[in-house]
Amino acid sequence: MKGVALVTGAGRGLGRIIATFLAGQGRDIVITARTPTELHDVAQFLEGNDVRVVPIPGDITDPAHRTRLLQQTRAMGSLSLLVNNASDLGEIPRPELALASLKRFRLTLETNLVAPIALIQESLPQLEQTRGLVVNISSDASQGGYERWGIYGSSKAALDLASKTLAAELKPRHISVVSVDPGDMRTRMHQDAFLGEDISDRPLPEVTLPFWAWLVGQDPERITGMRYQAQGTLWEVPA
Amino acid sequence: MRGHDRDDVRLMVSTTESDAHYSFTELPGLLQPGDLLVVNESATLPASLPAASRLGNIRLNLSTRFADDLWLAEPRWSPSRPGPLPLKEHEILKIGEAKAVLLQQYPGIPRLWFARLDTPASRLMAKYGEPIHYSYAPAYPMSNYQTIFSRFPGSVEMPSAARPITAHARDMLRSRGIGIVGIILHTGVSSLEIEDETVEHQALYPEDFRVPEATANAINATHARGGRVIAVGTTVVRALETAWTPNGIRACSGATGLYIYPGTKVHAIDGLLTGLHDPVTSHLAMLSAIAGLERVKKAYSEAIRNRYLWHEFGDSHLLWRQGAN
Repeated sequence: MKGVALVTGAGRGLGRIIATFLAGQGRDIVITARTPTELHDVAQFLEGNDVRVVPIPGDITDPAHRTRLLQQTRAMGSLSLLVNNASDLGEIPRPELALASLKRFRLTLETNLVAPIALIQESLPQLEQTRGLVVNISSDASQGGYERWGIYGSSKAALDLASKTLAAELKPRHISVVSVDPGDMRTRMHQDAFLGEDISDRPLPEVTLPFWAWLVGQDPERITGMRYQAQGTLWEVPA
Repeated sequence: MRGHDRDDVRLMVSTTESDAHYSFTELPGLLQPGDLLVVNESATLPASLPAASRLGNIRLNLSTRFADDLWLAEPRWSPSRPGPLPLKEHEILKIGEAKAVLLQQYPGIPRLWFARLDTPASRLMAKYGEPIHYSYAPAYPMSNYQTIFSRFPGSVEMPSAARPITAHARDMLRSRGIGIVGIILHTGVSSLEIEDETVEHQALYPEDFRVPEATANAINATHARGGRVIAVGTTVVRALETAWTPNGIRACSGATGLYIYPGTKVHAIDGLLTGLHDPVTSHLAMLSAIAGLERVKKAYSEAIRNRYLWHEFGDSHLLWRQGAN
């Protein structure tokens, strides 16, 4: 698949691994994250790949920032892969839903649900040109009902449903949407979720590389609407 | 290879109670009308490429296709001398005029690299490729690495269990009322299996597979009738167990990373026809899941005592699941 990729939350953890993989693939890429220093580190790290990597720091809940991102992908060609990876865990330590701050909950929903959908809406003209693919990063918390995971989990459950709905709605326009649960990984977010606990038994986000390699090799229109577990034992292509 | 003919090999049959010795040509008589063989219809590619590197001339064995220009690959010093080689990210290997860029190592299996090719692998294999082979065997002509069921190119090592089945044997099986249906699973390299001796620590990479609707139906119908389903090769077990549900086998395709280790319950098959494998491999782990570790150990001692030939051009072994024979 040719064209430009856009990865949000690319400053560290899973987003950084996805950006690294795509640059290695020879893809021109726009990366964004809120922390400029981390984002520029990633851009510098990717320089050896002989591709164009453009870091644009900012917050994806900011419409002006989203506009900048999509103007950049347009300037480099046309967006063919949008990875909505940036996520907000919510209050730390994770509260019970019954006691959670609603104000803070709304912020999580803005980042995890509204902003990704906004980015998709705004990138439709480019994605339509490239018959592109949208990857929304989900979580097993979207299905678990685990205690104290209600904020993050419900935002991801809603994103899963949005992915499936968009897949159905955008099929006639040849734009594809999948949802990916990366599984537990040793990342900053995971450490924040398990404050003070030892998470060294979790694999590094590199563990998802085989899945990204597999995913970019698929015909997006054949897998649209699917939800994958990157660390699962089966990545199915529907008949 | 023992002789000139593919079926000129021995066949050990292991039931729950005992091991018995036959010639492979006796297979049709050892099965019953109503039994069903499931074969792998993947054909073998010439996936071993000569490569020039900073370290001199090496081999690049392609393992797993993600796209025609993106493969998992194993750089080796030579067919007999494995890596890992001291290679770095972004390192370039030359295959003729073409370039392969090593991107990243496979998580948990450092001897495998994601490699990006500037020329489609199919063209490189057609021009430079030879079959992957290891120190115990020379490179034979490509046709030696296909079975009579090979139809869909994609494996880098021969799914070898069906190798001794000749067209004559196939006809004999069918005329006895024994069905033969196919799945497709494209194999990757097997060499990595010597890396970690504890099966629990083995990382396995995914393999592309497909269980067609007709095959799923035939298996379910066989089981409904009380017939036995025999996987021809461990690749078939991997595909069928992936496609298994409590309601039977379903049509299914994609990539499977299923690892069948000792203690896994095997549901989809009643018997496995396979070669004899090195003691420390995922194959053997799977055999143990099917028949029990002690039973497999005993069968292997029996095979060693009787000087069976190992590996893909060697002798055959039919192993029945506990209670299936």
